[in-house]
Amino acid sequence: MSEDLLEINDLQVAFTTRRGVVEAVRGITLTVAKGEMLGLVGESGSGKSVTGFATTRLLDAAGRVTGGKILFRGQDVTKLRGDDLRQLQGAAMSMIFQNPRAALNPIRAIGLQIADAILTHKKISKDAARAEALELLRAVQIRDPEARMNAYPHELSGGMCQRVMIAIAISCNPALLIADEPTTGLDVTTQKVVMDLLAEIAAARGMATILITHDLGLAARYCRRIAVMERGRIVEEASPKILFTAPQHAYTKRLVAASPTATSRIEDLVTEEERERTAAVVSKPRPAPAHGTPPLLEVRKLAKRFDQGSAAVADFSMTMAGGESVGLVGESGSGKSTTSRMICRLIDPSEGDIVFDGQSIGHVAARDFHRSRFRKDIQIVFQDPNESLNPRYTAFDCIAHPLMRLDGMRGGDALRKRVEECAERVGLPLDLLPRFPHQLSGGQKARVGIARAIACRPRLLVLDEPTAALDVSVQAVVLQLLDRLRRENDIALLFVSHDLNVVRMLCDRTIVLRNGSIVEQGESRALFDNPKTDYTRKLVEAIPHIETGPALAAAL
Amino acid sequence: MLSYILRRIVATLPVMAIVALFVFSLLYIAPGDPAVVIAGDQASPEDVERIRQSLGLDRPFLIQFGSWVWRILHGDLGTSIFTNLPVSTMIGQRLGPTLSLMIVTLLLTIVVAVPLGVLAAWKAGSLIDRVIMGFAVFGFSLPVFVVGYILAYIFALELEWLPVQGYTPLTQGFWPWLQNLILPAIALGCVYIALVARITRAAMLEVLQQDYIRTARAKGMGQGGILFIHALKNAAVPIVTVIGIGIALLIGGAVVTESVFAIPGLGRLTIDAILRRDYPVIQGIVLLFSFVYVLVNLMIDVTYTLVDPRIRY
Repeated sequence: MSEDLLEINDLQVAFTTRRGVVEAVRGITLTVAKGEMLGLVGESGSGKSVTGFATTRLLDAAGRVTGGKILFRGQDVTKLRGDDLRQLQGAAMSMIFQNPRAALNPIRAIGLQIADAILTHKKISKDAARAEALELLRAVQIRDPEARMNAYPHELSGGMCQRVMIAIAISCNPALLIADEPTTGLDVTTQKVVMDLLAEIAAARGMATILITHDLGLAARYCRRIAVMERGRIVEEASPKILFTAPQHAYTKRLVAASPTATSRIEDLVTEEERERTAAVVSKPRPAPAHGTPPLLEVRKLAKRFDQGSAAVADFSMTMAGGESVGLVGESGSGKSTTSRMICRLIDPSEGDIVFDGQSIGHVAARDFHRSRFRKDIQIVFQDPNESLNPRYTAFDCIAHPLMRLDGMRGGDALRKRVEECAERVGLPLDLLPRFPHQLSGGQKARVGIARAIACRPRLLVLDEPTAALDVSVQAVVLQLLDRLRRENDIALLFVSHDLNVVRMLCDRTIVLRNGSIVEQGESRALFDNPKTDYTRKLVEAIPHIETGPALAAAL
Repeated sequence: MLSYILRRIVATLPVMAIVALFVFSLLYIAPGDPAVVIAGDQASPEDVERIRQSLGLDRPFLIQFGSWVWRILHGDLGTSIFTNLPVSTMIGQRLGPTLSLMIVTLLLTIVVAVPLGVLAAWKAGSLIDRVIMGFAVFGFSLPVFVVGYILAYIFALELEWLPVQGYTPLTQGFWPWLQNLILPAIALGCVYIALVARITRAAMLEVLQQDYIRTARAKGMGQGGILFIHALKNAAVPIVTVIGIGIALLIGGAVVTESVFAIPGLGRLTIDAILRRDYPVIQGIVLLFSFVYVLVNLMIDVTYTLVDPRIRY
């Protein structure tokens, strides 16, 4: 087709690592037409980002194109060198990265960083470049652009930084824009604003866009064509509608099943074959607590202020029964993590009280709480399993440590048995126990984190975005695991998340936080189906649903 | 910014006070009666008594310390036992050569080591990188006096390009001044260059892996722009730190270098003073060096805030 802007032909990319050569991309073929937005979807390690980097020639030194062609306007990008290459980079094709804050130079004013891109490709004066940079800041809808020109990345929010990245990427009017996970790590509402902006700019300037993402829902909302990648190959390429209604490839089926939607239930997240194992437990209903049972947790008018600033959390009250699951949702900065850490007694509240099992624990200083008998009962699973495990502890040590500290176990066979039992409960193969975190996958590390938290048989488990760093298929399994643990062991779950679809599935009740105070709370399904406040409605609407977005697709 | 610098200066006062106490105690840390120690082996009892009187060693320790500090605050560092000249005068006469040597060495180091480190990081793993790092290990391992004598032998005795030793004040012309300093500066700078080059390479390697370097490449920027506009400034904090810490190396090295090249500077004065047990002079010099070092650290802290807008003051 003569319309094709980019034509990737049997591309192969390999990385040289210490453990030998890894084939990241094993022969993919795809085309992008002028002005089209193509979704490239896959989980981590599928080779989707590597494809993007190979196209823009930004592969690491260890990565090498070992076969195939990347034809951009008929010219093979893989063979370009020196000045020819630089004329392409940032001018005819440009790229937007994941984690916008890290992608900007921390010690250079953003105006200069945009001007850098312009001056690299246009022979104009510095003042003219500065004027253009200001125009671009306006185009990406940054408020008060004159003042922001001299701002540094750390003074801007994540969404703002990504807008600056977009401004840099579009500064020379590229024909092709590759967006690599552009909104991962941003709030749902910010994600929507940034993606809408990106789609709008791409349409207005006639740019072709490749949207690389792990989020099928996001791709479905903005792309008319989606290519699904698995282990370096494209397994399926279709319109979102076909992909969701009639996926052909087994992997696509699994991916579609694992992506939470507005209506899915926990048990829907895996395909038929995988469902058998959990079915027995799931079907058992949870007995309602006897009338008059005191709540497990009661939080009264909790408040937290940092350094005389305004309150991070104010007037927060809630109750939880044993075995209940409650979701705590809100955008970043809404105070949900602060609240969960206060309840875990990792930080001290400024005001208010926390009552656990009839006993006030809010006034026990956080640094002394490890001596309280309730330390065993309240445990936390942290956000990032990669960061929250000690790299020098094996999986066994991680799980054994709380048992030794809090349960007074002294090692030997008894300890080994308890650790193995915990590992079995979270579905962690026992032969993985001697391994160190870097030898485990993301999902396995998440299991170690959960096994560690449940080792002392807590009655309340606080989960701080436990699946945010995981692929959807791994997330599905972890969510099922949590739900099973709750039913089997009657553990109450306080689930902190910005992913409303996940909260809706896992939690009986949901509390919506904004700027440190409760906006709305209630039974999860009712709350999401009929949000009473504008803020909750905005949050719910911002979730990219699996349903194809006909309105937006038509607008493009 | 100004209030930050003022606050930092105030914060250095306790440091200087502790240094002063330590320097003053030097006399008492040495075993035995300070007066006897100062007088030396061949002194008669009358000599010892005279020294005790003149230094006020018969008074209580704290009073001695108090009056010593008081005099220093008024610019009086005491009088040399050996030459009977004021210590401040003696230091003043020797300051020029040492300061010249240190400044030339510092400039030489920055001009040579930083580009070498950047080059090594850019070409990491290549032959160039290995050669540069090989030289760094070499420079690290050779003592100053060995390098000094080898350089003097080759460039002064054999090739006769540069003078063997001595010092010419700057007032007698720039070239004669510099000519005498080239070999000592290279000898003194060897370890320093090796250190700074290694740190520059390590810091640059770290920075070159950051996402924003990839962004710069995505913009199509040239290698020079990436290395010097985006990377080097981000790598500057550790580099500046090591350059600052290295000043202590220079102070120690200057003592040896000045002996090798017969430069009449503070290093020589230090050695002479130690050999003569001229305590007021030793105290004055140590106090001065400490003060310089504290000042350098203050300058490093201020430099951080200039380099990195994220550092608050």
